[in-house]
Amino acid sequence: MPSAVLEVRGLSKRFGGLLAVSNLDFEVREGEILGMIGPNGAGKSTTFNVIAGAYAADAGEVSFAGESILGLAPHQIAARGILRTFQHNRPFAGMSVIDNVLVGAHTRFHRNPFSKAAAEEEARQRQRADELIAFVGLGESRSADVTTLSFGQGRLLEIARALAGEPRLILFDEPAAGLTPAELERLGEIIRGIAGRGIAVLLIEHDMHFLLPLAHRVAVLNFGAKIADGLPGEIRANPSVMDAYLGSHAAAR
Amino acid sequence: MKSSLRWIAAFVLLAGLPFFLGSYYNDVYRKMLLWITLALSYNFLFGIGGQVAFSHFAFYGVGAYSIVIFLFQFHLPFPLAILLGIALCILVALAVAIPSTRLEGFYLALATLALAQLFVVVLNEGGAVTGGPGGLANYRLPEVFGVRIAGPWYTVVIVSLLLATFFVLLRLDRSWFGRACRAVRDNPEAAAAMGVDVARTKVIVFTLTSALAGIAGMVYAFVDNTVNPPIFGLENAFLILFMVIVGGSGRHTGAVIGAVLLFLLPFVLSPLVGHHHVLVFGLLVLAAILVAPKGLIGFYDAFRRS
Repeated sequence: MPSAVLEVRGLSKRFGGLLAVSNLDFEVREGEILGMIGPNGAGKSTTFNVIAGAYAADAGEVSFAGESILGLAPHQIAARGILRTFQHNRPFAGMSVIDNVLVGAHTRFHRNPFSKAAAEEEARQRQRADELIAFVGLGESRSADVTTLSFGQGRLLEIARALAGEPRLILFDEPAAGLTPAELERLGEIIRGIAGRGIAVLLIEHDMHFLLPLAHRVAVLNFGAKIADGLPGEIRANPSVMDAYLGSHAAAR
Repeated sequence: MKSSLRWIAAFVLLAGLPFFLGSYYNDVYRKMLLWITLALSYNFLFGIGGQVAFSHFAFYGVGAYSIVIFLFQFHLPFPLAILLGIALCILVALAVAIPSTRLEGFYLALATLALAQLFVVVLNEGGAVTGGPGGLANYRLPEVFGVRIAGPWYTVVIVSLLLATFFVLLRLDRSWFGRACRAVRDNPEAAAAMGVDVARTKVIVFTLTSALAGIAGMVYAFVDNTVNPPIFGLENAFLILFMVIVGGSGRHTGAVIGAVLLFLLPFVLSPLVGHHHVLVFGLLVLAAILVAPKGLIGFYDAFRRS
């Protein structure tokens, strides 16, 4: 079994009187797609934001590649190799597609802009960015202004931009939201391709029809706690999951 | 190298011109070059870095005053005076930029507006050191290696300043650093998620562009050979903002176009409409912003696309 890249142990996060995440344990391994599902308010986004450095944790430990990342700022977490996409696309609106992707590669640039080596580094990163743009299927729009992209294309740009940072772990925040069935199919292929490169994938998702066929393993959250963890088939057959999603009446029937 | 040839050609052209101009047009030309230099660095701060700051022209003043004070009040050697002047600009810029990273948009604008006002107050109240409301005058550029640079040769110094500033800004803009600046401008949260240290980027941009304005100010100090508070008032702080907006914010060529047009406009207008030229100037600027929200460079973009 491949080693765990991300390990979350006993994670808790409180907002005032509300315990948004309580004593949560899970891990994501190299090349694995871990799906995290749960109804609204289950604590998925909070967990996501703690890992990405946007929120501080109240208790527990989050370690990445064997080192604690709690307390690091978002830009430091990105530099360690955890890149994310946003649920609502957040492109850099004044820039072209390729420049957006190159911002994703920010932590891969090490040269002084005035040095001779800078041009070589820029050319190499540009070529990588071109490959990633082609990989997500935006090749036609390479030099386009990002404001001309459709919503679905904007989602693909989010992915190419995150991949440019050479992540070891990529975090997807509800990537299926707002996409058409054809776009969903394409998105599924891309995510499989990413995991196929050995990158760990943590996928937070609302849409079970999209997630269950895609994920290698699924963790189910409800009221901030994990209520189930297993293979997609096991999750589908688990009555407490149906209960959380549809209410106890539906599960009883 | 094709690009270095282009820089040399630009230098020869711009530096050759003053030798064919009379002293009046030489003076106009010098000031235009200085405005272009300032507009280029302000464009990096405002248009590329996204920081709405009104302190840029004040830093021009800090540079101008500091070189004059260090040289002629404290009698320091020329190279030391230059270095101290730059150091002073950097220190003041850091003192403003570090606390300001918590401020955005409107609040940064207010803080830098306060700085610009405070600077004029300090100049007026500075007693013998700043010369008070009358400022400092009757000084001359010190000799360098026994030579006193004057006339069109001083214009060559200004051309070198302009091209060096442009070179530095262009290099930075076309690197990861320039992309990080634009990313911070467009979406700070997403920039941070991509590994950009947002606060650090903002502080570097503010300090660097303010220091560039200060260096331009040092050069300016020997154009009129006088520095006084009214020169560095708020009017010019807004003029530089208009130059960048009218030309096309975020674009180097836009900054150059805006600076040239708005600098030359009063020269064209005042013989035509006399004292009303300020009013007509305001209306033209307003019209340009309304007709071309992306700046005059936006027309060129549209023309090239079609």
